[in-house]
Formats: sequence, C-alpha cells, structure tokens
Amino acid sequence: MSKASPKTAPSRTAADALPGDLSKDELVDRIIRVDHAGEFGAQRIYEGQLAVLGKRRSAKTIQHMKAQEEVHLAAFEEMIRRRRVRPTVLHPIWNIAGFALGAGTALLGEKAAMACTVAVEEVIDDHYRQQAEQLGDDEAELRGTIETFRAEEEEHRDIGKEHGGEQAVGYPVMRAAIRAGSRAAIWLSERF
Amino acid sequence: MVEAANTDRKDDDNPLDAMRDRILDATLPNVLFDGWSRKALVLGAEMAGLQEGDVDLVFPRGARDAIAHWLARADREMSATLEAADLDSMKIRARIAFAVRTRLEQAAPHKEAVRRALGLLALPGNAALAGRALYRTVDAIWYACGDRSTDFNFYSKRGLLAAVYSSTLLYWLDDESEGHEATWAFLDRRIENVMQIPQIKARIGDLGRKLPNPLRFMRAARTARATAKSGS
Repeated sequence: MSKASPKTAPSRTAADALPGDLSKDELVDRIIRVDHAGEFGAQRIYEGQLAVLGKRRSAKTIQHMKAQEEVHLAAFEEMIRRRRVRPTVLHPIWNIAGFALGAGTALLGEKAAMACTVAVEEVIDDHYRQQAEQLGDDEAELRGTIETFRAEEEEHRDIGKEHGGEQAVGYPVMRAAIRAGSRAAIWLSERF
Repeated sequence: MVEAANTDRKDDDNPLDAMRDRILDATLPNVLFDGWSRKALVLGAEMAGLQEGDVDLVFPRGARDAIAHWLARADREMSATLEAADLDSMKIRARIAFAVRTRLEQAAPHKEAVRRALGLLALPGNAALAGRALYRTVDAIWYACGDRSTDFNFYSKRGLLAAVYSSTLLYWLDDESEGHEATWAFLDRRIENVMQIPQIKARIGDLGRKLPNPLRFMRAARTARATAKSGS
C-alpha cells in the first residue's frame, strides 16, 4: 500500500494492476476494513483521553474530535454491512490498545495527549491520501468520503498542534513510537 | 481465510462458469464410482459434449477446483432459497436451523459426492481450501440470517456456526433415518448448546469494558506516594 502510487487518480480502480497485485475487490475490501478499524481505534483513543482529562479545559475539544470520529466510524460500519466486507479480526485488540494509548498519554499530561493526537492524525492523513490516490472514478463515492474524513483528521492534527502537542516532554520520541505503532496497526488491519 | 469473502464475488461474471457448471453436473453422478479424480471430470466433460482440454482449462487444479466451484455454487443456491424464505418472522435459532437444513437438503441428491469431497478436503494439503469453503458457507448463512455485526461478534458467530455446521454435516452423512429426522434433532441439540454460551459469557464478563480506570490508578499511586513521604 505504501508502494509508489500514481499521483493522479486512475479512471478505474486497480486498472493498472499486474498479476500478483490486488484486484479491485481486494483493494476496496482492504480499504474499508482498515479504515473501519482505524476510526474505531481513534474513537477509543479519545475515549481513553476523556477518561483521564474529562474535567480539564481540553475536554470540550476532545469531545468535539471524538464526535467526528464517531460519525466516521458509523459511515464505515455502514459500508462494511452494505458491501459485505469482513471486519478486522483484531477488533478486540484495538479496543484495548486504543483506550490504553489515549489514557496512557493523557496521564502524562494534556500536552502529551495532544502530542498523541498529532502523531496519530499525521499517519491517518498520509494513509487516507494514499488510499484516495488508489481509488478511481468507479469508486468516486468512497473516495469522496475518504477525502472528507481526511480533511477532518487534518483539522484534528492542527488542533493538537494549537494545544501545544509539539511542546510535550519527549515529543520526538513519543511521536516516532506512536507513528510506528499506528503504521503497524494499519498494516495488520488491512490484512487481518 | 483472509480474502475468503472475495472469492464468490469474482466468480459472478466469469464467462467460463457456464462450462464449469456443465462439467460439474455431468460429473457428480460419476463421483460415486470414480471418486473426485481428473478421470471422473474428463468422463463428465465428454458426457456433457466437451473435451478433455476443457477440464484443464476451467479446473486447472483438477478435482480441488471442481469441489471449490461446487461448494461456492451450493452456497449461492442456499442464499437464494433463504432470501426467498420468510426468515424475518423466525427467531434467530430457527433461522440458523432452517439455513443449515436448507444447505444439507440441497446437497442430499449427491450425498456420496459430498462424502468423497470431504475425504479429499480432509487431506492436510487441502486445509486452506477446506477452511475457505467452510468460512464461505457459514458467512453466507449468517448474512442471510441478518447478521450485520462489525466487531469481534462477527467471528464468534461464524466460529460457533462452523462447529455446529461441520458436526451436523458429519452426522448427516451417516444418518439413515427417514427424511434425515435424526439429523435435524441433532442440529437442534447443537444449537441448544450454543444458546448456553451467552449465559456463561455473561458470568465471565466483557473484558474490554472492565478496563482499569486510569484516574483511580493515579489517585492510588498519589496516595501511596504521599503515605510513603509522610512515613519517612
């Protein structure tokens, strides 16, 4: 998925697929599965943060971001049902890991929680951009949904930066670790 | 198992499918004598007015491909019947029983071919094929029965049904009773077993929701630190 992909959207999804590449159905399957898993994980991260920071100043901002993730999650759930995509088998793991990441960073302070948001949403931003590039005009609806959600994830990233996420103690280390973890989660959720 | 959900979708508009169906239908009565072999498929093709080369064209891996095609087709036939049936008025357990029964009744004319196919699928080298086929069948049943879960329930439901379905299938193979009545009773008992699981699960509790409250943990840590300080 992270391989070089064309910069302009192809007119048909997987039109230039070679033998051994994913077919269109497999590609769309993976995209919906991993995005559903990702939005679920994001929702759990914000829930974890709220469990710790529920009464702090930033709670309202986190609530707002969580509400948007819930809309995203509902959209992908609907797609899983309608298009008969197998949901990820790792769902229970993301349930716990997402909450633990959110609560864990929030325990390090509000800035660390925002640093977590910045790191995660950066990865999601890249990830959605790559997906949108792979989808052709025959999947315009899915591509449009992903583009819309990407804009909102970008907004979350900027909110995280505004709230001083980058000034958190040990930000570079935390960012690298969370980015690597998020990428691993994406790789796994696409396949399993 | 990973991409299993796709397999039947790809078959839909395959122009070779008509040829596959012709060879398969002509072969099924022969399987009783010849087993699931390439020889049986070639005989079937000749009876259907096709040639030996056509077998290699549409079933390159011989009997294994033929079985996979047969099972996928049987799933589609079952799904069509279930869609036409009034499942909404039934309880979930009745829907599942009805679906499994439909699947087996549709396979009944070729019971010996099913037995022979199971023998082939039981070979270790065919484990992936067998797993995919089983997954596809239970997935089709759950979908027809209205399951739209998007979390891990998706897998627990299919896993439980896979156990019910495969044990019922084995029972059915050796069931000589009138109209397979013994099998349907067996099926009801297996579903009854599964219905007890939620009660057991409720006792164990949902692990995901019982995560420790991080605030309470912090408070406890702070109190402990404070006590340690005042103590020293």
